Amino acid sequence: MSTCAHSWSMTGIRSGYLVVEGCYHCGARSSFFSTEPVAPVDEYREGAHFWEHLAGYQAVTFDLRCDSCGETIDLSDMMGLMLSTCDDPGCEVGRLSLELGKKTSIYVALCADSSHAGGACVSDAGVKALTEYFNQRLHSRRRSIVVVPCKMCDRIDRCTGIVIADTGLTDFY
Amino acid sequence: MKISEVVNKTGLEALTSWDDEELTGVYISDMVSDIITGATGCGLLLTLQTHKSLIAAANLVDVGAVVFARDKRPAADVVELAEKAGIALFSTPVDTWSYAAKLFELGMR
Repeated sequence: MSTCAHSWSMTGIRSGYLVVEGCYHCGARSSFFSTEPVAPVDEYREGAHFWEHLAGYQAVTFDLRCDSCGETIDLSDMMGLMLSTCDDPGCEVGRLSLELGKKTSIYVALCADSSHAGGACVSDAGVKALTEYFNQRLHSRRRSIVVVPCKMCDRIDRCTGIVIADTGLTDFY
Repeated sequence: MKISEVVNKTGLEALTSWDDEELTGVYISDMVSDIITGATGCGLLLTLQTHKSLIAAANLVDVGAVVFARDKRPAADVVELAEKAGIALFSTPVDTWSYAAKLFELGMR
């Protein structure tokens, strides 16, 4: 276990598109990050799923690297961040928000599969490093930021919050 | 430079309450994905973007004040969210380039 008091910086910043797809057969949602010049909108079958394009947002992904010890945290499992506005005591994120109060902002790290059917989500190491990184960037206010994995939400599809995404920039009219 | 000095010398209209914090720099962007990778803490963010997502991004990277160019005004729920987050919002009638020039003339870098 590292004894380094990490000093994180963003590294490997990649520009592209966050593509959200839905299966019209079972209702599952999936997302992936594409670095193609034009965001893919294809429909295709994958096993039992029939994926169709739901949305595409210009986005960036990044990793975190410690300037002190060189440790790098791969954040390719994170599709985005959402400022939680949940105050539902029936949801773990909502309970945390009520417990921490207004001086703490909770951001939900969103993984690719909102159903968590495969059990995977944003890694614990990634969530911990993100929390440390964004708190290290705070300067002015007596407040803090907590990042939590989306598997902590009672139901991520119904969770209330504001996703940091460049909505509408890739829509065609 | 203090927010009050920027407000007085560049003619900003306040859209929220604000504390007179020290601004450490300026970042110009209309993309929230860019803001989270580029904006610095306690800086002034100059933008045309008035979406709620902007406040979520500005809060994450500790932006000190947001200035909307060309007299853009966010919706009431966006202003409310900024108030809760303690992010000062301002509006200027001039375009982004002209306002950036004003900040440069003030000595902000």
